Amino acid sequence: MLKNIDKSSALFVIAAVAFFAVGGVLTTVAPPLLDASWSKPAPGLKDYASLAAQGDEEAKTIMAGRAIYVAEGCWYCHTQQTRTIEADTIRFGWRDQRSPVSTPDEFVYDAPHMFGTRRVGPDLSRVGGKYDSQWHATHFRDARSLVPGSVMPPFPWITGNPQKLAEVTAYIQSLGRVKDWRPEHDYEE
Amino acid sequence: MTTVVTKGAPAKPTVRVAETALHEDRSAFAFIIVAALFFVVSGLVAIIIAAKLQFPTLLGGVSWLTFGRLRPIHTNGMLFGWLLAADMGLCYYLIPRLCGVPLWSEKLGMSTLALWVVIILGAVVTLATGFNQGLEYAELPTWLDILVVTAWVMFLINIFATVWTRKYQQMYVSIWYIMGAILWTAFVYIVGNYGTLFTTGVNQANLNWFYVHNAVGLIFTPLGLGIGYYYIPVAAETPLYSHRLSMIGFWSLAFVYVWTGAHHMLHGPISQWLQTVSILFSVMLMIPVWTLVWNFLATMKGQWHRLRDNVPIKFLMTGTIFYLLTCFQGPMHALRAVNAIVSKTDWIVGHAHMAVLGAFSFFAIGGAYYSVPRMLKTRLHSEALADASFWLWLVGGLSFFVSLWIGGFLQGLQWNDTSIPFIDTVKFMYPFWAVRLVGGTLMFVGILLFFWNMVATYNYRHQRPVA
Repeated sequence: MLKNIDKSSALFVIAAVAFFAVGGVLTTVAPPLLDASWSKPAPGLKDYASLAAQGDEEAKTIMAGRAIYVAEGCWYCHTQQTRTIEADTIRFGWRDQRSPVSTPDEFVYDAPHMFGTRRVGPDLSRVGGKYDSQWHATHFRDARSLVPGSVMPPFPWITGNPQKLAEVTAYIQSLGRVKDWRPEHDYEE
Repeated sequence: MTTVVTKGAPAKPTVRVAETALHEDRSAFAFIIVAALFFVVSGLVAIIIAAKLQFPTLLGGVSWLTFGRLRPIHTNGMLFGWLLAADMGLCYYLIPRLCGVPLWSEKLGMSTLALWVVIILGAVVTLATGFNQGLEYAELPTWLDILVVTAWVMFLINIFATVWTRKYQQMYVSIWYIMGAILWTAFVYIVGNYGTLFTTGVNQANLNWFYVHNAVGLIFTPLGLGIGYYYIPVAAETPLYSHRLSMIGFWSLAFVYVWTGAHHMLHGPISQWLQTVSILFSVMLMIPVWTLVWNFLATMKGQWHRLRDNVPIKFLMTGTIFYLLTCFQGPMHALRAVNAIVSKTDWIVGHAHMAVLGAFSFFAIGGAYYSVPRMLKTRLHSEALADASFWLWLVGGLSFFVSLWIGGFLQGLQWNDTSIPFIDTVKFMYPFWAVRLVGGTLMFVGILLFFWNMVATYNYRHQRPVA
């Protein structure tokens, strides 16, 4: 049968789809069924989307900020994952506190996910609370005034709009907080 | 008369004289010229965003001209506006010739193109105004996704109906790759653009990387290789080295590629066993790659002198070497120790550009230089300009890729040394980004020459008729 597979287009179509389907099913449908940790939220993880739908003001602000982060493509240059690499935990920690490794249960409500692939700028998985909101306002206006050598662009249409600025800052400040890893020092408190 | 012959398999003759009467090639040519135009536009956007890494405030006051808005226009424009459209055009040319029948419907082909143009223009407007779904390569809103699937089904019907009505019973390997690509794309695209809408978190990320990786691996790879399998033997006027090798390469690709998506999340928050599976299959990809490269190189035995003055062969063989290199890098990146250095750096950007711009665009360009004059029953406007575009792409491309590999690898080592502040590793990249900008500019000039050559070949086609 296989000898004639290059003569029969119907046979070919069936075989090509079957070969693909084995890996296709086992790598997309099977993993979330086999690994319950993907869908089990971390203790205390807030579902901001549902809260916002119920009218929670803080959640609405954070979700609006997240929408700005998505629309402006911040995620093309910033990852949101502390990987199982020691340098990640040190570099994206704070002073002597190491950033805890990111786990699937922290992201159960994230859509779209913002893990990212490229670090033109630093990782943001634990950035919440590291800098005060005035710092972020200045940084969005002119990143190089705070970090000389930075290549982040200015965002005048956000910094010129107090509501948008408050939203995107609230989102940034919410990141990585489900793990209580840095309780003693937070510029926001 | 030219022939595509495989050793140990019946010949696949395509008779030039009959071709003229048999093939209209309207859809084929129209797709290529539109693709070339999008190549110019996407290339211009590429230069702007590369320049922004040198001058971060460049055009900074205008929201729709920022890096974050232009980058998806560049990636979607290159992938779907240029490369996929060019590949589709070449399919409309080579599938009827390998089947010995005319394209099933030129009207359907032209309608597909009209829809494709609507999709690309819609994509530019939505992305520029910030309607971004937030998933790599799946940025477009759902109504555009529906149009993409519609256009793809129209393409599927046209190609499959042509194959169904073919005159030669045995299907040459290019037909398998192209039919495989069309079928797999339907599944891969739907998972990446609809499956992701009903999932969240790591589950969604897994589907996203399934799509991103297979967009390259099961859309552009099989289309590009099908094109290579056709144009290398016809442009070198020699039979394919081995029909059996091509079978091994095809079926191993069909089975292995789809497993590898999770290697985009190595060391990340995704199950370790899934990471290990993706690594194993990534390494196994060397089987389809090396059998194919062996087949392409062995086909050229006794024909290497053609590299001197045959522009399509220059593109096709350089594309083969870029394919070998990029597909050697891929399995290496998937090893945990290497991944810990190169992941998230510009090394990967260099790798991705060598795959899409180096390997698969070189195949498409080689195919276009060979077949556009034949579609128009004329000769190429200028062999010299075509040759110049090759050298611009080769020199520009190599300086682009190599500078990002060196810079990205060293930056990865610096990231793993936590005594170096992050911003110092950014400043370290400046000179490498500058070389990339220069290399990219050379390639952009190559794109302009290519586009002009295509337009001029069309405009002056009656002055250079082929008997």
